[in-house]
Amino acid sequence: MSALIYIIRKSFKNGFKEVLKKPSKLIMYILIFVIIFAMVYESIFSPYSGAYLPFFWLTGALFLLITLFLCYSVSAATSEGRAIFDMNDVNLLFVSPVNPRKILLYGIIKMIRMAFLAGFFILFQSSTLASFGIGFGGVLLVLMGFMLSMALFSILSLMIYSLTNGRTRRKRIAKLLTALLFLPLVLYAVFCFSQTQDVMALVETLVNSPFLTFIPVAGWTAAGATALLTGAVGTGAIYFGANLLLGAALVVYIMLSNPDYYEDVLVATETAYERKRAMADGNMNAAAAIGAGKATRIAKTGIPYFGAAALFGKHMREVFRKSRLGFISLTSVIIMVCAVTAAVLLGDITMVMMILMWMQIMLIGTSQGLRELYMHYIYMIPETSFKKIIWNNMEIVIKVLTESVLIFGVSGMILRLNILDILTYILVYALFSFVLTGINYLFMRFTGADISAGMLIMIYYIATMLIMAPGVILAIVLAGLWGQSAALVALAAWELAAGLVCFALSSGVLHNCDMPVVKKVN
Amino acid sequence: MIIAQNVSKRYGKFLANDNISLEARPGELTVLLGPNGAGKSTLIKAICGLLRFEGRISVGGHDNLSIPAKRILGYVPEFPALYPLLTIYEHLEFIAKAYGLTAWEQHADELLNLFELSDKTQKLGKELSKGMQQKVSVCCALLPKPMAIILDEPLVGLDPHGIRQLKWIMRGLKSSGCALLVSTHMIESIEDDWDATYILNAGRVAALCRYEELPEEESLENIYFSITDGGGRI
Repeated sequence: MSALIYIIRKSFKNGFKEVLKKPSKLIMYILIFVIIFAMVYESIFSPYSGAYLPFFWLTGALFLLITLFLCYSVSAATSEGRAIFDMNDVNLLFVSPVNPRKILLYGIIKMIRMAFLAGFFILFQSSTLASFGIGFGGVLLVLMGFMLSMALFSILSLMIYSLTNGRTRRKRIAKLLTALLFLPLVLYAVFCFSQTQDVMALVETLVNSPFLTFIPVAGWTAAGATALLTGAVGTGAIYFGANLLLGAALVVYIMLSNPDYYEDVLVATETAYERKRAMADGNMNAAAAIGAGKATRIAKTGIPYFGAAALFGKHMREVFRKSRLGFISLTSVIIMVCAVTAAVLLGDITMVMMILMWMQIMLIGTSQGLRELYMHYIYMIPETSFKKIIWNNMEIVIKVLTESVLIFGVSGMILRLNILDILTYILVYALFSFVLTGINYLFMRFTGADISAGMLIMIYYIATMLIMAPGVILAIVLAGLWGQSAALVALAAWELAAGLVCFALSSGVLHNCDMPVVKKVN
Repeated sequence: MIIAQNVSKRYGKFLANDNISLEARPGELTVLLGPNGAGKSTLIKAICGLLRFEGRISVGGHDNLSIPAKRILGYVPEFPALYPLLTIYEHLEFIAKAYGLTAWEQHADELLNLFELSDKTQKLGKELSKGMQQKVSVCCALLPKPMAIILDEPLVGLDPHGIRQLKWIMRGLKSSGCALLVSTHMIESIEDDWDATYILNAGRVAALCRYEELPEEESLENIYFSITDGGGRI
């Protein structure tokens, strides 16, 4: 056991030393800490002045969030499993004479530590939680509930994997059982909606119903946190206690029943290791494909178009192999449905568009065009940099245009907006991707290959905010003077101008830059 | 064919290439030999236009960043980078279309045959082993029939059959007048096929050995170790 404690202690100590040695990492952590501190400080010392939002929204949101992670855990457990060990653990610890049960405990401690780190984003939501009348203590309580759930899912995932590994029927049963947990809630939702046909009332009824609160982990945590926040300490303790008991029971079961688990965790560990290696080698495409699991259906073959346009032809072939809907992936469909639903429920498209634009900053990197930049082919194709950039980004142009037409077209029609307003929403959203792509090329032009991924992302966010700031300020001023439509037109015009300037400044970039390489973040 | 003059590349404070000059002549196999971290891959990436650098590099008399230079240069990276969702044949088709090649199909079939990939043309990039990926990567680089080809640690990951085939191809390319620039840290892998060897150490050219000028009693291995062990230069 002393060897395992030594590894944990040393890893923590060396990790801390590394942060001190790398100023960029240190700055990033300090910045995150300052932002969290500012948000927590604001939530404590600047009490929310408006009317508090109904509490059932918070319970529902917490339930949905944890349910998403539950689904992910079950899905991961029934595919390649979740990586709880690193490759160095496999190579050094698994072959050592240390008791496998103790090694498993070490793995679980590592997972719980990761779950704790993952939960810190809840602190960013302090101001949102304040709108429910929740103070700092309440924020910590929500954080605790979330972290507890995450730790539980890690253990649950390992157990499901060890029980279903290599057994298709058992995998199906695990998925079916998970779905069955939610079936009563779904049936109850259908029944209630058929009676009232009022969405708000339906949400409130569902959140307070036992069909939700009795769902293990997700329902227990949501109900437990709500109970504790509203002063029902006994009820809250029961729900949280149930979570703890379940976790303990799972750990005991795994440790007693399956000490020969090495094979079970090997595939996930190797997959995670391969993915990390591919990322470190700068092979983003391969990293994304590793562990993707499902077989790809090859219908049509061949690459249409010549010269730089062959890049677009290749992207078309790739996107249709990724998703049968082509430019619209499953993630896009989920985002579109959620966005339209939110816009219709809130009766406000502007807020939904703003949230989507924030998401776009993160999602723009998943486009085929930006991934292409991590491989050597685009730089070596004997065509001008301009032509290659145009064709390389055609996919994201079509994708964003399609998404924005569907999101703002559908929600605008439901909310009976006039066609010009719908068009300006489409324009603002689509042109924002133009700006983001331009900023990416600008970064390539002015940053070298020695910049770390963490630092790059941080500068990228700040640069995006700075570039957009004048446009946003102009839009706010015009909104006060001439209304929202004028503001949106101004914002679109700013995006177009900013995007063009970014592309102009990065002219010839593909023939005069350092090919980006994803540097190890950990 | 490939001429690098006073090339330097800096990553922050670290000088990866320090004023390197090099020439890879047509019909010759030029080797970049050096320990890990000597700056071989950095130099190769600079020649291929994947990194910015100080100095001057030309390929076939054209600036290495120009379109005519790109048209005659082939590159096999150290880590094979394939598209996971393209088949082997589509990789070749993509290169053919992007380079504007005509009547490329027969040459593609020859390359696929040579590397025993003919029966796997419909396999996706993500389904291939490391060795097979390396073979496809070589095929992609050779398809445009480049006049100069750069291979970064090309034999790593290949099975004995693949190694033999690649060496055979390299000899063929050499005799056809193609300039080959190969980086390696394994002296034994280049055997007696080389014409010029640049020994890189700590980002600098520590020695240039020409095969015909090497004294009979001297071996490349001895020169290499006298430089890398002693840290000196000849």
